[in-house]
Amino acid sequence: MPDTAARVWTRKDLLGLEELSSREILHLLDTARAFQEISTRSIKKAPALRGKVVLNLFFEPSTRTKASFSLAAQRLSADLVDVVKEASSAVKGESLVDTGRNLEAMGVDIVIIRHQQAGAPALLARNLDACVINAGDGTHEHPTQGLLDIFTMREKLGDLRGKKIALVGDITHSRVARSNIWGLQKLGAEVGLVGPKTLIPGAFKELGVAIHYHLDEVIDHYDVFNILRIQTERQQKGMFPSVREYHYLYGIDQTRVNRMKPGVLIMHPGPINRGVEISQEVADGKHSVILRQVTNGLAVRMAALVLTQSAKEAHGG
Amino acid sequence: MSEAILVSGGHVIDPANGRDEGASVLIIAGKIAAVGHVTEADARNHMIKQGAPGKVRKLDAKGLLVLPGLVDMRAHMGEPGRDSEETIAHGAEVAIHGGFTTVACMPDTEPVIDNVAAALFVRRQSEQAGFAEVVPVCALTKGREGRELAEIGQLVEAGAVAFSDEQRAENSPAAILRGMHYCAMFDRAVIEFAQDPELAGGAMNAGYESMLAGLPGIPSVAEELAVSRACMFARETGCHYHAAKVSTKNAVRALKRAKKLKVRVTAEVAVHNLMFTDEVVRARYDTNFKVFPPFRTPEDVKWLKRGLQEGVIDCLVSAHRPVPPHEKEWEFGRAPFGAVGLETALAAAWVTLVEGDVLSRSELVAKLTINPARVLRLDSRKGSLTPGHDADVCLFDPATKWTVTPDALFSHAKNSPFLGTEIKGRVKATIARGRLFEFQAVRHTS
Repeated sequence: MPDTAARVWTRKDLLGLEELSSREILHLLDTARAFQEISTRSIKKAPALRGKVVLNLFFEPSTRTKASFSLAAQRLSADLVDVVKEASSAVKGESLVDTGRNLEAMGVDIVIIRHQQAGAPALLARNLDACVINAGDGTHEHPTQGLLDIFTMREKLGDLRGKKIALVGDITHSRVARSNIWGLQKLGAEVGLVGPKTLIPGAFKELGVAIHYHLDEVIDHYDVFNILRIQTERQQKGMFPSVREYHYLYGIDQTRVNRMKPGVLIMHPGPINRGVEISQEVADGKHSVILRQVTNGLAVRMAALVLTQSAKEAHGG
Repeated sequence: MSEAILVSGGHVIDPANGRDEGASVLIIAGKIAAVGHVTEADARNHMIKQGAPGKVRKLDAKGLLVLPGLVDMRAHMGEPGRDSEETIAHGAEVAIHGGFTTVACMPDTEPVIDNVAAALFVRRQSEQAGFAEVVPVCALTKGREGRELAEIGQLVEAGAVAFSDEQRAENSPAAILRGMHYCAMFDRAVIEFAQDPELAGGAMNAGYESMLAGLPGIPSVAEELAVSRACMFARETGCHYHAAKVSTKNAVRALKRAKKLKVRVTAEVAVHNLMFTDEVVRARYDTNFKVFPPFRTPEDVKWLKRGLQEGVIDCLVSAHRPVPPHEKEWEFGRAPFGAVGLETALAAAWVTLVEGDVLSRSELVAKLTINPARVLRLDSRKGSLTPGHDADVCLFDPATKWTVTPDALFSHAKNSPFLGTEIKGRVKATIARGRLFEFQAVRHTS
């Protein structure tokens, strides 16, 4: 791992991509690339976080993000604690800040938090000395997902300057979309949003992204289609008329892929609704890098853990 | 009370009487006795004429502005129901620190102030405390449910100064229209909350900032809809509609249209909605910036100021709402709305509106005194320095700077959006119905 780490990266927390510079993002991605090598060894361990305690504090269900962070921490030789909180009990019981302070009193070094409320990681970060890594807060940001998406795009496309990346689906309620937009724009990519008008607030235009309501009109314009999960509860709330209509207008099937650019990348942060936003054939097809995203996620999260912890130690924390 | 107070050497601003000049104010037996060139000898003569000769206490107001005691037509007291946070007595004392001598408290309490006993309770707590006079705004409908009308006629007798359901859970157009018809018989304003409840379910202003913050937004159209509808109801019923806490450009425009059509409508804005925009939220997700209606955009603030300037907005309110610290420590989306404001309202309004060249000094004072007194039908004894009226006076020093810290606030709750900032202007003393409260050394000459 490069020894200059602490100089470029000085943050004890990773809360979002909005506040990161392109230099910080690239540094984290470079660090991740160094960690990727560990995954190819037969003994998949590095000592970077030996004797440190990493806590998964999840207020929302998660399979892959939690597993990915757990594996990342374990590969760095950290001790790992899992706390899964019922959102409903948190309403009446202990406050988030109190929970955090209690866990910190037990010697936790890094808290990985997923929470349904935007800003919850920021609240925790300002009240704790421990590192805080945002594993998704409400509809605000999901920085490690954004980073692993970008990592995967760079792996396949190289430099992202001038590359055209489309995010398809429910942008309003997507923290993945926000983190993607911030990160991609900082690295010089052109971002387009595709989806129904009820799920893309017009204010996104102010970020300098393109907005398209008709997928077929721009199908051959983009180098990457990052397809977001569509939640059926949005349909129940009247955001779009039916799953069938959604699939008809925005579903990525083989017919549409055939009309895309030849080397197009199909991405999805998961979990996938096969047959809704993406067809079986496309999800498993030759343009899909969906599983590669998952693999890369591990390296990106290892980098996030090590960089935040070393920044904290450099500050004498 | 055989004591008189003579406030001299100050600059009196009393918009109701067209006064903006150096003058003295004489107070005898809890009432304004005279304003103008009043000497100590005049004071003694006044007292003799009233058959109550006694001591004259002289207060040197040199360098200070002498204003009618301020009237806040919107504050929330914890009592009844949440009196562990703030009682009426304590809230009334907080008000005195901010120069407010009359405070209308809103009925969104537990139980709701929708009956004669509850209204009388508010008045009794206020009288026993003896600080600012707290007057009840009573619910328009029983339990604020938007169904059956409250006993409005009897509540008027019991001292209700206006009627409001505050924020209802439901839209209830039929009940509001009926309520305004009924209320029109009693010469009281209906203060309608300016947000459509179904549309206004977010945590901050809807727009660019909420999109980035990932927080659900409260669209400005929720306010425009509620204000426009209430203007129509006022037109149909002849009832006086007072728009609560407007915060958006389009609500100001709707009110302006209604006023042009001579609909009987008045409006208020919360001082903090003039001071902050939605950009402050995302930096720290600081829940002291979570208020309702939310901080809007710079464009909205521009229109609110324009509305104040053109007389579309008549009143400034503190919208004081104490929230205990542990609840403001919650996540932004879950934390309760509200900010304390009684102690900072005058200074903040002065800096942004007078020094910001939006309003003249006299116009600003009117929006904090006589205008709200008129909306609340209290102008026969409140909101001006008219001889015979209640001796409510605020001595304000617009030049003193102070930093808003938890310790600097008298309020138990510290949920102020101004925390940590320096503001200019401080109330040095308040006289409430003849009773003098001094917060910083004011010179006595005797």
